[in-house]
Amino acid sequence: MTDVQAPASTRPLIKVEGLEKLFPIGSSRFRAPDAYVHAVDGIDFEIAPGESLGLVGESGCGKSTTGRMLVRLMEPTAGSILLQDGEEMLDIAAIEKRDMLRFRRRVQMIFQDPFESLNPRRTVYDTVAEPLTVQRVGSVLEREMRVAKLLDLVGLSPADTFMFRYPHELSGGQRQRVAIARALVLDPSFVVADEPTSMLDVSIRISIMDLMLSLAEEFGVSYLYITHDLAVARYMCDRIAVMYLGKIVEITDTEELLANPLHPYTKALLSAVPVPDPAYKRPDVLIKGGIAKAINPPPVCRFVDRCPMATDFCRTHDHPDLEDKGNRHFVACHLVESSAG
Amino acid sequence: MTISKAVPNDAPILEVRNVVMHYRTEKGDVSAIENVSFSLKSGESFGLVGESGCGKTSMAMALLQLQAENATFKGGEIVLNGEDMLKMTPAEVRSHRWSDISMVFQGAMNAWNPVHRVGAQIKEAMDLHIRPQLSHTESRERIASLFEMVGLDPEMMDRYPHEFSGGMRQRAIIAMALSCDPQIIIADEPTTALDVIVQDQILTELKKIQHDLGMSIIYISHDIAVIAEVTDRMGVMYAGKMVETGPTIEVFHNPKHPYAFLLLSSTPSITGPRRKLAPLEGEPPNLLDPPPGCRFHPRCPFVTDQCRTEEPPLAEIGGGHQVACWNWESVPPLSEGLRK
Ligand SMILES: Nc1ncnc2c1ncn2[C@@H]1O[C@H](COP(=O)(O)OP(=O)(O)O)[C@@H](O)[C@H]1O
Ligand SMILES: Nc1ncnc2c1ncn2[C@@H]1O[C@H](COP(=O)(O)OP(=O)(O)O)[C@@H](O)[C@H]1O
Ligand code: SF4
Ligand code: SF4
Ligand SMILES: [Mg+2]
Ligand SMILES: [Mg+2]
Repeated sequence: MTDVQAPASTRPLIKVEGLEKLFPIGSSRFRAPDAYVHAVDGIDFEIAPGESLGLVGESGCGKSTTGRMLVRLMEPTAGSILLQDGEEMLDIAAIEKRDMLRFRRRVQMIFQDPFESLNPRRTVYDTVAEPLTVQRVGSVLEREMRVAKLLDLVGLSPADTFMFRYPHELSGGQRQRVAIARALVLDPSFVVADEPTSMLDVSIRISIMDLMLSLAEEFGVSYLYITHDLAVARYMCDRIAVMYLGKIVEITDTEELLANPLHPYTKALLSAVPVPDPAYKRPDVLIKGGIAKAINPPPVCRFVDRCPMATDFCRTHDHPDLEDKGNRHFVACHLVESSAG
Repeated sequence: MTISKAVPNDAPILEVRNVVMHYRTEKGDVSAIENVSFSLKSGESFGLVGESGCGKTSMAMALLQLQAENATFKGGEIVLNGEDMLKMTPAEVRSHRWSDISMVFQGAMNAWNPVHRVGAQIKEAMDLHIRPQLSHTESRERIASLFEMVGLDPEMMDRYPHEFSGGMRQRAIIAMALSCDPQIIIADEPTTALDVIVQDQILTELKKIQHDLGMSIIYISHDIAVIAEVTDRMGVMYAGKMVETGPTIEVFHNPKHPYAFLLLSSTPSITGPRRKLAPLEGEPPNLLDPPPGCRFHPRCPFVTDQCRTEEPPLAEIGGGHQVACWNWESVPPLSEGLRK
């Protein structure tokens, strides 16, 4: 439906089409499911080489499920995920076992919780070198040099003082640095980062974010950067996609989204973000209630129950398509007019 | 948010003076609260901010005299309405807890007993602390009006915790904290686990309740943006110490402690120009063995020799703004930032 989201001149690195993940509820070996959670409900987006796309929205809207499907930690129930592979586009959703190894070299993930994502019985060296070992890259000596170089790059230096430590001997910030080194050790072209700084203290957060930005530049990696924090997304991302109950409702350049939000949900979300300035008065947040679960949702706009602008048209028509309203600003709302530009 | 702030009356109802509290552990003493002072006026909203492990929850527990068993007070006073709580008997403390000073604990919304109705759990707290005890009907009426105040349907009082969403459980916790009509509520990370839209709803309601009831609130948060929005005055803690206090607007617009300055310079925002943020190097110290002199000195870009050996006192710099730093005059205006 939409194939013009990434900058027009470049071929996208990642192209997601009709991606869907339904989780059955109440099923068992003997019983068909009663219903499905529409965790990710047919989404499309593209990421350009070197670009960082933010995926934001309230908890439960489907961010992590999307991220996991992109690195094939989870199988989609429908849709395709195309990864640029030389002149071709490789469908990640359909990769055969024998091609998995090659795929893993190019796509990596960084998780939210540095306390859970590292194996407590493995040293920093083992953790960071593991992808190299699995991929049979280089000799033992070359691997050691590569790991040392990565540890230096992520600020764990001198590397030899960190290599043989265990996770419990590291602080939260240092563990997240290890996770970043591991994700980048194979020189991937695409990294999914799922709330990588949300467990860290404010004073450590910025240095980790700066590290990820400078490494992206150095290695030319693209990120799908998942966060519930719009201020963090602004700092990290070139473009932002806003999700609501399994749907992308708005996607555009970061500053455009903040200056000119068009979807009623994006407007509400932005007006609810506290601002670190006591003199600043936020606009009132116009929506009520909390986010629900998308269990067998009716086909109409997912936001209709909470939307302050909903009309009878919204209640009787299908969920709106994500459409370009001008300047590559995509919005899924019946009421938002296209600007002529 | 449109609710006006209550006008604080000048007499402090709570004064914390030079409190020192340590935890005894196998590895030694954890210096969790080190010589902390601040005061709270009637009708005022005071914020305590700082990153995790700096002693915020320890301070809150000390104010309620609900500190952990291994905690010991090494000095100071916590004066509530003219009486030092550190000198009270356990029975005296109990008579003030909930009815004069109550609390929304960090993570409390997950602490409801799953097998009892929410209303019954609130009634239990009221039965223990309100004298004379309310009749059954009076209790139900009171809970109904508390539920309305916090934005819950009064019919929810007969439901079980699992029938509440996270935001609703937190509202019910606030109703419970209000149930014995306290003068002061301590809210420890009241919205930290919630999404921003629910956070906005709850903070708006807390502000309205505070205004309507003329209550005082101590907000505790690691999120300085939340503190900016809901407090009149604030204190910044670092490694068990109070490093800066003052009117919230003053601390935000004119931070003079290097840690507060860097914290504000390293907080991203969705407003204002998109800018490169100044990182804070290093990590907070282990409180088993805090650095000598100024506890911030290993990370401080303004450090001088004096800082490594002498502890800076919290000193007034004008307008009720206090800073614990030898070199606060070297800290530039926030807008200039730090040149890297
Ligand atoms: N393994 C699973 N089984 C069933 N439901 C799931 C599973 N994982 C996630 N969900 C549901 O899918 C929805 C999206 O979850 P998630 O992708 O984790 O959201 P987010 O990361 O935005 O918080 C939620 O309603 C969640 O409860
Ligand atoms: N019961 C306890 N025994 C030993 N140390 C403790 C205890 N409770 C808290 N601490 C330590 O005291 C310091 C302050 O903790 P806390 O008050 O919980 O900080 P905050 O609420 O700011 O995160 C931390 O170093 C913490 O590990
Ligand atoms: S389509 Fe209608 S209900 Fe949905 S967001 Fe737009 S105005 Fe609101
Ligand atoms: S006293 Fe010295 S080390 Fe401490 S904050 Fe001030 S300048 Fe920095
Ligand atoms: Mg998630
Ligand atoms: Mg705490």
